Amino acid sequence: MDTLASLADGFVVALTFQNILLALVGCFLGTIMGALPGLGPSNGVAILIPVAFTLGLGPTPALILLTSVYYGAMYGGRISSILLNIPGDEPALMTCLDGYPMAKQGRAGEALALSGIASFVGAFFATWGLVLLAPQLVKVALLFGPAEYFALFTLAFATLGGISATNQAKSAFAAALGLGLAMIGVDTQTGVPRFTFGEVHLYDGIDFLVAIVGLFALSEVFIFLEHRGSAEEEAAKPKIEIGRIVPSWGLIRYCTPTMLRSTVLGFIAGVLPGAGASLGSFISYSIEKKVVDSSGKTFGKGDPRGVAAPEAGNNAAAGGALVPMLALGVPGSGTTAVLLAVLLSLNITPGPLLFSQNPDVVWGLIAALFIGNLMLLAMNIPMVGLFTRVLMVPPRILMPVVAMISFVGIYGISGSSFDLLVMIAFGVGGWALRKLDVPLVPVILGTLLGNEMEVNLRRAVTIDDGNYGILVGSPLAIALWTIAIVGFILPIFVGGILKRRMKQAHEEGSLTD
Amino acid sequence: MSDRIFGGIGLLLAAIFAWQATIIQESFLSDAVGPKTFPLVIAAVMALSSLYFLVKPDPEPEWPTMGRLAEIGLAVLVMIAYAELLPEVGFLIATAVASAYLTWRLGTNPLQSLVVGVCTSVGIYVVFKLVLGLSLASGPLGF
Amino acid sequence: MTLTALRRGLTAAALIACAPLSALAQDFTPSNPECIAPANPGGGWDFTCRQVGKSLQDEGLIPSTMQVVNLSGGGGGVAFAEVVNKRNDDNDLIVAASSATATRLAQNAFPGNTMDQVRWLASVGADYGVIAVAKDSEINTLPKLMDKMKADPKSVAIGGGSAVGGWDHLKVLIAAQEAGIEDVRQVKYIAFAGGGEAVTQLLAGSLQAFTGDLSEAKGFVDSGDIKVLAVLAPERLGGEFADIPTAKEQGIDAIGANWRGFYAPGGMSDAAYDYWVDAIAKLYASDEWKQVMETNGLAPLDLHGAEFQAFVQESVNNITALSKEIGIIQ
Repeated sequence: MDTLASLADGFVVALTFQNILLALVGCFLGTIMGALPGLGPSNGVAILIPVAFTLGLGPTPALILLTSVYYGAMYGGRISSILLNIPGDEPALMTCLDGYPMAKQGRAGEALALSGIASFVGAFFATWGLVLLAPQLVKVALLFGPAEYFALFTLAFATLGGISATNQAKSAFAAALGLGLAMIGVDTQTGVPRFTFGEVHLYDGIDFLVAIVGLFALSEVFIFLEHRGSAEEEAAKPKIEIGRIVPSWGLIRYCTPTMLRSTVLGFIAGVLPGAGASLGSFISYSIEKKVVDSSGKTFGKGDPRGVAAPEAGNNAAAGGALVPMLALGVPGSGTTAVLLAVLLSLNITPGPLLFSQNPDVVWGLIAALFIGNLMLLAMNIPMVGLFTRVLMVPPRILMPVVAMISFVGIYGISGSSFDLLVMIAFGVGGWALRKLDVPLVPVILGTLLGNEMEVNLRRAVTIDDGNYGILVGSPLAIALWTIAIVGFILPIFVGGILKRRMKQAHEEGSLTD
Repeated sequence: MSDRIFGGIGLLLAAIFAWQATIIQESFLSDAVGPKTFPLVIAAVMALSSLYFLVKPDPEPEWPTMGRLAEIGLAVLVMIAYAELLPEVGFLIATAVASAYLTWRLGTNPLQSLVVGVCTSVGIYVVFKLVLGLSLASGPLGF
Repeated sequence: MTLTALRRGLTAAALIACAPLSALAQDFTPSNPECIAPANPGGGWDFTCRQVGKSLQDEGLIPSTMQVVNLSGGGGGVAFAEVVNKRNDDNDLIVAASSATATRLAQNAFPGNTMDQVRWLASVGADYGVIAVAKDSEINTLPKLMDKMKADPKSVAIGGGSAVGGWDHLKVLIAAQEAGIEDVRQVKYIAFAGGGEAVTQLLAGSLQAFTGDLSEAKGFVDSGDIKVLAVLAPERLGGEFADIPTAKEQGIDAIGANWRGFYAPGGMSDAAYDYWVDAIAKLYASDEWKQVMETNGLAPLDLHGAEFQAFVQESVNNITALSKEIGIIQ
């Protein structure tokens, strides 16, 4: 009851004209930055910090502006995923898999609206989770030591087999490629540079935004150059029809169980520092596929549930990531790291005492999240029609614009021509991999999670003085390993053997007939 | 055939990666696992999956003709030139030229491409520089 | 008559208004002041540039807005090389730096670059290091912790927010050295992506001790979740931190300050150098900056000009010696 009273106080703080205006501006800018390839939520928030300071905003209004941008970017990332097959930011990666096929089938409007609703559901329940469960959830985060994190990341890679049904070896290769790229840079555990060839620019490693924009956006430009004017282009071109803009009630109901399951998974992934929104959307998608489409018939081919799952998952993770940030002062993602820096500079120390020391800030912020979320839903559904207009722009004009925005997004953040060259290399590589039917998602997953996976392995083993047994040293770690092996790795091999046996049995059967 | 070549390249890549991993200069301060172990495991996965392509290749993809490959190659060169010249000539000019080129090569007539290029450049400048306040490259002319 | 008087009055007023500026501007005024933050937006260096830029303008110490340019890569090495190679004569340019910059310079992590290729301007504050344990730990003083590490180095896993060889690691090694641990390479240090993550693992029980900056630990100190054994400052800090004993008063003479400050291109003219040193010194003395320091948990560290140059030189020398000793550099 206390909690609800505090929340009500929070709404009193948040519901001023200025704050609502800030939330509106934040949501709008966030959506745009999320949709532009190269600018993700973390850069979006970072870019607006000086604006917040220049306006001389107090702690609560500044946080309202910045978290609206954060939530807005999480919403916005899906737009370019669905319309262009280019993820606007890393958590929107999985939305491409079914969103773009839906758009090609002329259901772009439906996909956008449905993903908007899924985003809302994910963010809405995650915010409630933040309100009601934050103190208890902190204990969950404390269950995860290095060994458990390593098991969790292994689980994430194990589920890759379920994502692309075509050729498991190619998935494995792609994941190894991504992991290999993640190894570039100075090794934090020993301080020695690895795979940098003496190039200072590589000491910090490869920024995954550079990888994602190169692999997806630039390779798309090359694909268009290759097919220009040919018959294939006509076939590859998404249909101009936008389809219905409001999804039918039946479709929403059909996807509701998916959204709820994904919200829970995404939220948990978000709560764990070091896992974050990308893992949230990834796990949501792959588990959902396992649950409702284990034979792989519809996912990846424009299944609406394949759009709802990652969007609910990544928005829930965005809310979940605020739990460790506020209650522990530990950022669970790049964006929350930036928000944390803002909190510190506003003289608010996140940590166990934040809820009792600065209740007005915390509850004002949470109330703002509810308001922002509603605003985003209200803004996104009517704007679906506007977004889909993008598809009306002929690719010969649209693609160069996309390419240039990608360049500027990367250059504007890092100020480095070197990053642009790396991005072009990724574009060419991405084009070749696409031609060879190698999935790109595992590459990104590898670059995103590779470092965390390795350092947690090394931390665990080092803490236990070189004993690898620590990796299965707790019930939680054992549980995660079991899910990974029984749920995902065994089926790949057993499935193959079973199929062959059945085929054999069938043939033998026909022989005896 | 393509998959076989790809498998070969993959194996080569794995070998180079493994070799580079073994020559990582370890300091005296090493943790229990060390900086080489994980890269070597990755190289092994890469090599195994490459072997699989060699043994069981997928059906041949459709490769573009030489003309189209040259087209892609030229676009890559233009992009590299863009990346290199951006800090020298400034954002507006470089971007207008590069996007006009790409628009033209994707099948727009030259004059229209120029217009599109300039509009793209100015549009991005307004949004990124003036609205969001990012520092874009400013050439000798200040933009 | 009245008009002339009015005009005279206005001129006088204008002159008075300009006085602080023109006093500074005798020899040099930057026409286009610029601050390079050698990292992406949102990091510590970015904040240093933006906060200082804003405060300099508020105080009227620079004539126009400070342009902040992000130039990330190589842990600051890309920006350092750019300043040395391409902008060596730029009088309008300052670059944000911190202990991390000095550490990397000392360890040759900026290949081919050394600290004397640039001119060090001034510091704007420091964040002192702390060594802490979980609240239910049986260890209550720094010497006790060091004794335990001395007896069995494997029994204490100590985590921090910087890479191996980074400042959080070096701080604990400095303390270990002072405490008489002979082979400091035995110290079991676990690197995390940030101080917060390391504190969490301390609470989760994966680690036995934490090394980091006071500002990172503040929230957990207030809540009583962790016990700070010592602050690595020359003397006790003021205010709410007055209860925390220094390492020195416990007989371990270790000081670890994570300072923030600026350097300028090596070819900057003396007039411009003096201008910037003076501007930052004036800023440091202002009430606005005192407020900023308090907000950001920065402790005083007021060094400028030659003094700062000597300070950075000394810390680079110390870090070089220590790094050689533990084998991070040959």
